[in-house]
Amino acid sequence: MTIIRNALETPEPKPDKAFSHIDELLHDNPNLWRGCDMADQGFHGRSTGFSQLDDILPGRGWPNNGLMEVITPQWGMGELQLLIPLMRSIIEQRKWILWISPPYLLYAPALAQASISTDQVLVVKLDTSCKDALWSMEKALQTENCGLVLAWQNWLPGKVLRRLQLAAETGDTLGVLFKHHDSKHSPSPIRLKIKDSQSQQSSFSKAKISVIKARGNFRPLSTHIDLYQYN
Amino acid sequence: MEDPNDTVQLSQSAATTNGSAQIIKLPLPSASGESSGLDLNLDPDSGQNQQKPTNPSINSATSGAAGGHIRTHTPLWYALYFPQLDELSEARQQKVLNLLAEIAESISSTVSFYPLALICEIRSSLKYFGDINVIHNKLEPLLTTQLQEQQLPEYFLYSASPSITGSLLLARSGHNALIYQKENLRSALSLLPTEVLQLHKEQNRRLYNMGVRYLRDIWRLPSDGLRKRFGSNFINQLNKALGKAPEPTRNYLPPPAFITSYDLPYELENLDRLLPVADELLAQLCDFLRRRDLSTSHLQFSLLHEKRNSTVIDMGLRQASRSREHIMLLLETHFTNLSIPAPVIALKIEIKKFDAFMSHSNSLLSEGKPTAHYNDNNLNKFMEQLRARLGDDHIKSISTAAEHCPEYASQQLNYEESIQSNQSNAPIVKNIRPFWLLPEPLLLNIRRGKLYHRKALTIINGPERIETYWWSGTDVCRDYYVAKEKNGSRLWIYREKQGERNWYLHGFFS
Repeated sequence: MTIIRNALETPEPKPDKAFSHIDELLHDNPNLWRGCDMADQGFHGRSTGFSQLDDILPGRGWPNNGLMEVITPQWGMGELQLLIPLMRSIIEQRKWILWISPPYLLYAPALAQASISTDQVLVVKLDTSCKDALWSMEKALQTENCGLVLAWQNWLPGKVLRRLQLAAETGDTLGVLFKHHDSKHSPSPIRLKIKDSQSQQSSFSKAKISVIKARGNFRPLSTHIDLYQYN
Repeated sequence: MEDPNDTVQLSQSAATTNGSAQIIKLPLPSASGESSGLDLNLDPDSGQNQQKPTNPSINSATSGAAGGHIRTHTPLWYALYFPQLDELSEARQQKVLNLLAEIAESISSTVSFYPLALICEIRSSLKYFGDINVIHNKLEPLLTTQLQEQQLPEYFLYSASPSITGSLLLARSGHNALIYQKENLRSALSLLPTEVLQLHKEQNRRLYNMGVRYLRDIWRLPSDGLRKRFGSNFINQLNKALGKAPEPTRNYLPPPAFITSYDLPYELENLDRLLPVADELLAQLCDFLRRRDLSTSHLQFSLLHEKRNSTVIDMGLRQASRSREHIMLLLETHFTNLSIPAPVIALKIEIKKFDAFMSHSNSLLSEGKPTAHYNDNNLNKFMEQLRARLGDDHIKSISTAAEHCPEYASQQLNYEESIQSNQSNAPIVKNIRPFWLLPEPLLLNIRRGKLYHRKALTIINGPERIETYWWSGTDVCRDYYVAKEKNGSRLWIYREKQGERNWYLHGFFS
């Protein structure tokens, strides 16, 4: 939603390009507060590495800290491909990536191929009890040396999520929760859903990413991305 | 005649044999005459028997001592010489000497190391023990048992004199002599053959050619000439032996040990109540470490129960520390997962491993990018906490391995191993690999000529032939493909080239 305080000049005549021009005009106008764009308010995200996704995320990228939910109908939908650029930037910052109870064995050659150094990767194994897994997730989020905490947990109550969110803010760490089902009233600031886009039969590698919720966005948006471009 | 200035009571035998004698024979061990092999021929005029106290040369030397200007605080060095150590390696020598020094500590506060020998200062302990014989009798059985334990010949040579080098030379010669006064050193040493100086072969030869057989022959020579011919070390050694030059020592320091315990006034079942007690003990521990400029990397807490074995918490630290808060935090984490079989009646803390204290420092120039920052304090604390709570088996670090077989190309290591393994990363394979690997390959169904996992599969890339382990019984011969499932996920599947030619799912490209 935009609030216009000053009268605008007359819009451009061409209807097809009108939107982009209006956007530019509005952007230049300092008297205008744009509800959908948090970038001017000091909210800068980290680029996701996918320009289409950057476009629909507030701050043009992932938030610097906090909790993020990635919802996929099953594991292995390309959810890790989505995070490869982020993981690379975390490694470059010489921070650690903690994988908490991943559903399968994390395969080191794939990380090496994605140029993610395995020196800074730690795995908490799947057979760890849920209580311990959550405990380590909270501790990891509170530690500044961990840049990214990936966890595979379905069905976490809102209270736990809020606690994790708080821990992530304390440690300035980004936590990613992978789940199968969306819970509508989840307190996490960002919720993404990855689905295969059935419509485009020809280029079947594209996936549909919907931003169900993102703090700073005023409505759900979605885009189609080729997730396997980094391999 | 007793020397008025000498505070030490001389042994009875010495007093009776020779009124003014300050050279006394220590009781010789029965076997030492044969076993030492170091008994040397004395010159004929002093007789074959070294035990004869009425040796004319000694007598003449001791007469000077009657003058009586003796400092009461002259140290008396008791040398223990172990010629059998010569055959051992240097490290083993040091180890054995350390063990022996531990024993020697029971008679002297100053024990120092010399090649194949230990020197103890015993003047200060004479008053306590009363007699050098008492000291010797106390020490001998302990040393022989220790040598037996080390499977070494159980003899040793010894002597005592006011100078370290002098005692050492006397011990090497096998004289087992006791000399109280510095003035008597010269006459006692003069009887020793030059071999005890342990010179180089060339120097020995030269001395021999000069007609020098005993130390007294050296006394007769001008020292300037000797210095010129044999170097200042040679002269120094002689001066030290006579007590004319200072002799720096390298003292034996016993290894630090810390064990403390606290008996609770009443039995405790709630471990949280134990924390203040533990905190108190840890304060002592950290104080101990701080005083000695040490830190620890391995601690052991024992919770003692009545009529049961105590519960032991082994706490290893990734980085040696002496921070009370840090150890306390780890202990708390350990306690959360601990169940005790019975109420606790006492708490014991023991330091298992001491380390040098390294204070944390930041580099001045942070441009240099360290490969991995294992030393980072925060991270280490976090890791230790994780390990304390989850246990070593649950937290893994991964690395690639130079293997063709996909199952073995990725390793899970314990954190400690991963630091040691130094990350010998295998070359990166060209063909795409999945992020997830199934622990066991999963057999895929084929329905109406189509592959199925959960839904139908379409192969989009492949094949990649992997053929390895033909030398072992379990041949690996597979064609790998990248397949796409109808719901959008990508799978890594393979078909066996032998046997039933089944299709298997091996991983997910996530």
